[in-house]
Amino acid sequence: MSDTEIAAEQGLVKRPTGIHDLDTVTHDGLPAGGATLVIGEPGCGKTIIGLQILASALERGEGGVFMSFEESRAQILRNADAFCWGPQLRESSRCEIIDGQPMRRAEFSGAFDIESLIAMLDLCVKRVAGTWIVLDGIDQLLRRQPDSQVAIDQIAQINDWCIDNGYSLILTGKHSGNDRPQPDHLTGIEFMLSTILVLSSILVDKRLNRRFRIAKYRGTRHNPDELAMLIDSAGIHLPYADTFNAEAVPAAGKRLGTGIQRLDKLLGGGVYSGSITLISGKPGTSKTTLGAAFVAAAARRGERALLISFDEFARQIVRNVATVGIDLQTPIDSGLLKVVARASWDGLVEEHYMALLGLLDDFKPDCLVIDPASALLKSSGAEDAFLALERLIAVTRTRGITTMLTSLSESEEPSSESSLSHASTLADTWIVLNYQINLGERNRSLSVVKSRGTGHSNQVREMLLSHEGIDLADTYPFGSEVLMGTARLQKESEEAAARKHRAQERLRQQQRLEREISKTRTMIQHGQEELQRLQEELSFEHHDQTASDQETDLHDNSILRHRDPGQGGLDQ
Amino acid sequence: MNKPLADDNQQNESSLVLFLAGDAPRSRRAHRNLSAALAATCPDLAPVHEIDLLREPQQAIDFGIFATPALLHIDAEGNRRLLYGDLSDEGRLTDFISVL
Repeated sequence: MSDTEIAAEQGLVKRPTGIHDLDTVTHDGLPAGGATLVIGEPGCGKTIIGLQILASALERGEGGVFMSFEESRAQILRNADAFCWGPQLRESSRCEIIDGQPMRRAEFSGAFDIESLIAMLDLCVKRVAGTWIVLDGIDQLLRRQPDSQVAIDQIAQINDWCIDNGYSLILTGKHSGNDRPQPDHLTGIEFMLSTILVLSSILVDKRLNRRFRIAKYRGTRHNPDELAMLIDSAGIHLPYADTFNAEAVPAAGKRLGTGIQRLDKLLGGGVYSGSITLISGKPGTSKTTLGAAFVAAAARRGERALLISFDEFARQIVRNVATVGIDLQTPIDSGLLKVVARASWDGLVEEHYMALLGLLDDFKPDCLVIDPASALLKSSGAEDAFLALERLIAVTRTRGITTMLTSLSESEEPSSESSLSHASTLADTWIVLNYQINLGERNRSLSVVKSRGTGHSNQVREMLLSHEGIDLADTYPFGSEVLMGTARLQKESEEAAARKHRAQERLRQQQRLEREISKTRTMIQHGQEELQRLQEELSFEHHDQTASDQETDLHDNSILRHRDPGQGGLDQ
Repeated sequence: MNKPLADDNQQNESSLVLFLAGDAPRSRRAHRNLSAALAATCPDLAPVHEIDLLREPQQAIDFGIFATPALLHIDAEGNRRLLYGDLSDEGRLTDFISVL
């Protein structure tokens, strides 16, 4: 067993096809021994799958044989030249392309065997040391078999030979578009083969939508969903092949500025790094400007930012936001910012999805703005638009890309805030922009409807655009209304005048009280002086009385002495 | 890669080649059916050239013949006619060899 063969669960050995998306949905490839039936209507890409698998094998140094019962070698190579891997098929010595067409011009008389086909394939595949064999349009050969059971037995015979020799075989066959996974003329083959891929196409809005489905893959896990399939110069793509790995999603605690200081304050410091912000609003509510401010801020921090516009062309955006003080040209020139314009009508939603993924892969942005993401819903195949958007969000989350999506809404109410309200459940932060019309003015408002992991304000703010940039202003709740613009300014000046008046009033009152206090203080001082004087007077009075009393006592004693009988005075 | 004609058949005026796969039942049946038909219609014809593709698989690529049995007729101008199958359909076989 070669090292490219992968021992899968339950003993089934698989061989990678080298087509990334196909290997993803098949969980690492197709059977390393035995047949895979690829069926579909004409033009679904059956031949391309076969050719691309072969080209990938050549790329890895394996060999292979391609035999077509429908086209000549020259036609096959010409078809392959339309792809970037086409020239390999022409140039490689490990690739053998056999023209099986002569079968078509033959006549038939009775049943035939295919041992010689197997002998011939054996010769060729050994000559190129091959691992892959593609039999393109096998139904063209086997429909000549008068007994269809013989044809089925012969498919089994080729299958067994491949299993025994460890060759991976791709059989392609047409079917006429009904639901049965079987090629025409080969009824019953679907029971015999263990791996069947069904390709189909539908028209949505007059655009071709290709579909891919693994109808059967016995003995292994696989993705059974019908998936959108695209064909471009790199070959086939299944844009939705990759599964979402929730474990890989980082939960960063770092906050990033939105480019508007007051908004950052409103959000508790900005949006979380790697989070999703949805900005919705009616036309002209400055969604693009907010997006531009965000990428400009990212570039100022030295991060890589990608702005994808479905509305305007790159130069227009740069010119328009320059008038509100947002400079995109400098970061574009320095390579930190890339502005890409796409037209939503110009492609299937899967094509947009794939192109966006390609941009993420190539540019590796830290911050992403899609303006407006709702335009994706306008593109063809729009039934998948939500899916595409969800997947894109999953990718940016997994890669830690801080994403801002804008969405155009038609209705007034945030609750019916557009068809994207569905996507709003995926967003971490949802900012709604709106107009308030009063006093003949139309003023922009901004409110944060939700912001996960953030205690955010519930207040509507007025958004002001000027040459200096974007700012937010507090609004005035006035009864049931919110005042903005001139009404707010008027209210503000009235408030200021009232404040001034109140301040003067208070100053006057203070001065009056101070005067009273000083007056009272003077009165108190006078009273004190009077008090002291009275006290002094009283004390003098006391002193005076004592002296007088003593004098009176002395006088009385002297009189008494004079009247004493022993002393003079003998008048008895 | 494939050649419309194998080189060694160029010089013949007209040639009839029967491609077989070993002694598989259908190959044997074709051989039998062809011999009987030729014996009935043109008994003077030289024995038909037979190629066993199991032994010489490269011939399958050179002649562009990927199933057996197969009866190939190349006329003097190099035009090819090919009849696949065990030649059990007598009418088709007779029609095929009627130009000889």
